[in-house]
Amino acid sequence: MLKCLSGVDGPSGYEDEALKLIEEKIKPYADVLKTSRLNTLIALKRGEGTKKLGIFAHVDELGFVVAKVEERGFIRLEPIGGVDPKVVLSQRIKIFTKQGVVSGVVGFLPPHLQKEDQRGKVPSFDDIFVDVSCSSLGEHVSVGDICVIEGECTELGSKVSGKALDNRASCAALILAAQNLQAIKNRADVYFIFSSQEEIAGPGAVSVAYELGLDEAIVVDVTHGNEKIPQFPQIKISEGPALAVGPVINREFYKALSDVAKRNGVKVQLEPTPGRSGTDTDEVQITGSGIKTALVSIPLMYMHTPVEVADPRDIEETARLIALASTI
Amino acid sequence: MIDLIKELTESYGPSGREEEVQKVVLKHLEGHIDGHRFDPLGNLLVWKKGKSDKKVLLDAHIDEIGLVVTNIDDKGFLRIEPVGGVSPYTYVGHRVRFPKATGVVYYEGETPEEQKKNLSNLTFDHLFVDIGACDRKEAESIVPIGTFGVYDSYFYENGKYLVSKSMDDRIGCAVLVEVFKNLKDPRHTVIGSFSVQEEIGLVGASVAAYDFSPLLCVAVDVTDSADYPKGLKRHAMALGKGPAIKIKDRASISHRKVVELLEQAAQKAGVPYQKEVLTFGGTNAAVLQRTKEGIPSATLSIPTRYVHSPSETVSLNDVEGAVKLLVSFIDLELEL
Amino acid sequence: MYLKELTELDGVSGDEGRVRDFIKEKIESKVDSVKVDVLGNLIAFKKGTKSNRKFVLAAHMDEVGFMVTNVEDDGTLSFAPVGGVDPRVIVGKHVRIKGEVPGVIGYKAIHLQKRNEILESPKYENLRINIGASSKDEATQKVEIGDYVSFATDFRCENSRATGKAFDDRAGCAVLMEIIERSERFEDDLYFAFLVQEETGLRGSAVLFEQLQPNLALVIEGTTAGDDPGLPEHQWATHLGDGPAITFMHRGYVVNKKIYESILQVAQKYDIKHQPKRRTAGGTDAARLAKTGGGVPAGVISVPARYIHSPLSVIDVDDFKNTVSLVGKILEEGEGFAR
Repeated sequence: MLKCLSGVDGPSGYEDEALKLIEEKIKPYADVLKTSRLNTLIALKRGEGTKKLGIFAHVDELGFVVAKVEERGFIRLEPIGGVDPKVVLSQRIKIFTKQGVVSGVVGFLPPHLQKEDQRGKVPSFDDIFVDVSCSSLGEHVSVGDICVIEGECTELGSKVSGKALDNRASCAALILAAQNLQAIKNRADVYFIFSSQEEIAGPGAVSVAYELGLDEAIVVDVTHGNEKIPQFPQIKISEGPALAVGPVINREFYKALSDVAKRNGVKVQLEPTPGRSGTDTDEVQITGSGIKTALVSIPLMYMHTPVEVADPRDIEETARLIALASTI
Repeated sequence: MIDLIKELTESYGPSGREEEVQKVVLKHLEGHIDGHRFDPLGNLLVWKKGKSDKKVLLDAHIDEIGLVVTNIDDKGFLRIEPVGGVSPYTYVGHRVRFPKATGVVYYEGETPEEQKKNLSNLTFDHLFVDIGACDRKEAESIVPIGTFGVYDSYFYENGKYLVSKSMDDRIGCAVLVEVFKNLKDPRHTVIGSFSVQEEIGLVGASVAAYDFSPLLCVAVDVTDSADYPKGLKRHAMALGKGPAIKIKDRASISHRKVVELLEQAAQKAGVPYQKEVLTFGGTNAAVLQRTKEGIPSATLSIPTRYVHSPSETVSLNDVEGAVKLLVSFIDLELEL
Repeated sequence: MYLKELTELDGVSGDEGRVRDFIKEKIESKVDSVKVDVLGNLIAFKKGTKSNRKFVLAAHMDEVGFMVTNVEDDGTLSFAPVGGVDPRVIVGKHVRIKGEVPGVIGYKAIHLQKRNEILESPKYENLRINIGASSKDEATQKVEIGDYVSFATDFRCENSRATGKAFDDRAGCAVLMEIIERSERFEDDLYFAFLVQEETGLRGSAVLFEQLQPNLALVIEGTTAGDDPGLPEHQWATHLGDGPAITFMHRGYVVNKKIYESILQVAQKYDIKHQPKRRTAGGTDAARLAKTGGGVPAGVISVPARYIHSPLSVIDVDDFKNTVSLVGKILEEGEGFAR
């Protein structure tokens, strides 16, 4: 499932293909399916109606849009979301034109022709270009066409590596959780929400949070795994999802999640978040009259590259945790 | 239309002080709308009823960038801070217009070296305004602290282009006014929001759509036209090639289906258009789309050279194209 | 005057419970109703004699501070700022964790610093809080990751100047509490909103509209002064002792003209000392109120405070009293205010 989800393309604002796939996967476990006006998919699994619990995972991934078409088959890109220019160099780029998919190549000046002052410097997006002369449809590329880096999802031992695991790993967790709810009886009405436009801080999640009038929200996203960040505890891959604490999290809700995890032997890690979390949690909390929020993060290495690495066991543990949350 | 653009751009309306421009807009809309009101923040909302039950909101912000007086010294010189994204450089040696006075802006420096240093790292802390007052008391009586000013700049036709201060976004206001004039018996209800305080953080438009819950919103604003010597090399926009349908800027991605509908409208009306990817900036579409349960939104841009300077430059051809495009847009079925 | 009690309480953004409980206990019997919303805002209601408008008076309960982000093996605590705290002002200070555990922020002795290090800004990643624990186990018996940390500064008042922490914005809370002490009813329906999480991005105020649909608001703040030798006079924001500061514009919002001018008129009418706020930097909940729901136009009145966002700030007690008078007179104007 993870390979499938990673393989489908869906940059912010252009999530349709990814949503279609997710809709197929979650359909058997949902009572009601609906797509919002801003391209967010909502799958409702009814419970006893004790409260409305929204479980969010953003479905969009990083991408690019063609900003300018130069002469002789070269194009310039504007990133959608936070893309590291280093990662883009020497990649194949898929460009979705009206006539079909164009495959382009990001070029880089060979050492022989580099001038002294260029050596060791990473070009910015002002200097990066894509060569589309190698595609028969290359001449059809126009400003506004959406692009992604080509990426293949592979297994690395017990781990999985691919593009867009931020945040398809969480999408997978939601689908698994919906599946788990066939066996576990949920008390709350659970809305699985696959939201658009997170990578550009867009309105996908908040608009639905408002529309549904949620009591509680769990945002599922990814966090940096196996990185030592000064003054913060290290979140480790394969050690289970991380639960955030901080001003954007409702403290009681966090405690309830943490307790339910403990009681059921779900391994979790703790992630202090003194300011904003940088996820949809920040805005969902202050939607409407306010929503009780929790943030569950799947550890992920090399975030925002085409070779993100996650452990499927972390995803399964996350699914277990959020399914259990609906029994609280 | 040129007279309308001249009148709108020459009016005084920095963020938070938009009343004068709103009066001009209302005057020109008389007889062309079914009603209007001001919301709690001061947005001017106008509407014309359509045959269907669908509502479309068109937005143009009515404020312009400016300055505000923050201090006055013993000799009657003013200190200022920017209102919106103003470069201090555009003001050096230039004039600022307050409601009751015009002043000259210049920079400090007690030695040639200091002048050079200040000029190369210019901030508003280095600038002062001379309104010809002899002392603090006189200055305070004319421009008390908290008075807002705008570029003292005027409209003119530069060849086939139009030049003025505050094309951003009076040109959008002019487009909206012309659209309403051209809506005889509209297919859908059209709401026009002449929104306040865009330049300091998209304030007015954050709440303008709240009571209406329209089907979709289109913000009409300016975008950077980089077709001048060494203009930004990743920008494709140019004057005279038609209005630009925005795909993305730093604050939002236009709703895919609204983009498609705008393209359809352009094709139907035979209006040439460009597509726009702006590598910075944002428009009211970014907040309109966040209203309540979300409103599909996009931006239609007028390519503009020298944005936020006293000499913002547009092509009348693009402006007229935008009017035609929007009129044609409102006549589409608008299925999302 | 509740300035002493309020400023000596700890309530970093996200951890306002102690401040909220204190205020709630003091005001409960003096208003028609109080409630705490999902985010933790405390909202008190006092019905008006005419009730044609809903008028919100807002002050935020939270203060800047820190969060414990890790417990190190040696028993010291790593921490990160909550809200804007300059790391240059925190070395050598006493702190309190979750309102009870005392600690200090130490630093390498001057003897051990290289000459060029002495004037370098400390970095959060190198700073630790010492709570006297000598191991991780010992430390985790008293604190855990995610606990909030405040400066431990006592309140003092002398020479009609008050010193302490968190005047931003307990001064505003204290003003609201003084107004609540008054027994009479005013024309407008009044909502006293003691807000959470202002310092982390104007968050508490974001959920007021859907609950109250207010018609107008007044945000009462403790704001920057800057009238010290560090700045030339024309760059001062406010002057201590010149009365409440009235804002015409700040980050993200130009104050509604009618409200701004009405505040000035009331101050002039009753001859209450006041000043315009002379800088536009910084934002308040007024910006958020303007941008939520159908839009709430708000004014901003502030008690000038020197050295805010640090462990030790200074206000003029007369400025505080004049702020209370000005806000009181505004309410007495009833529906005539900002009409």
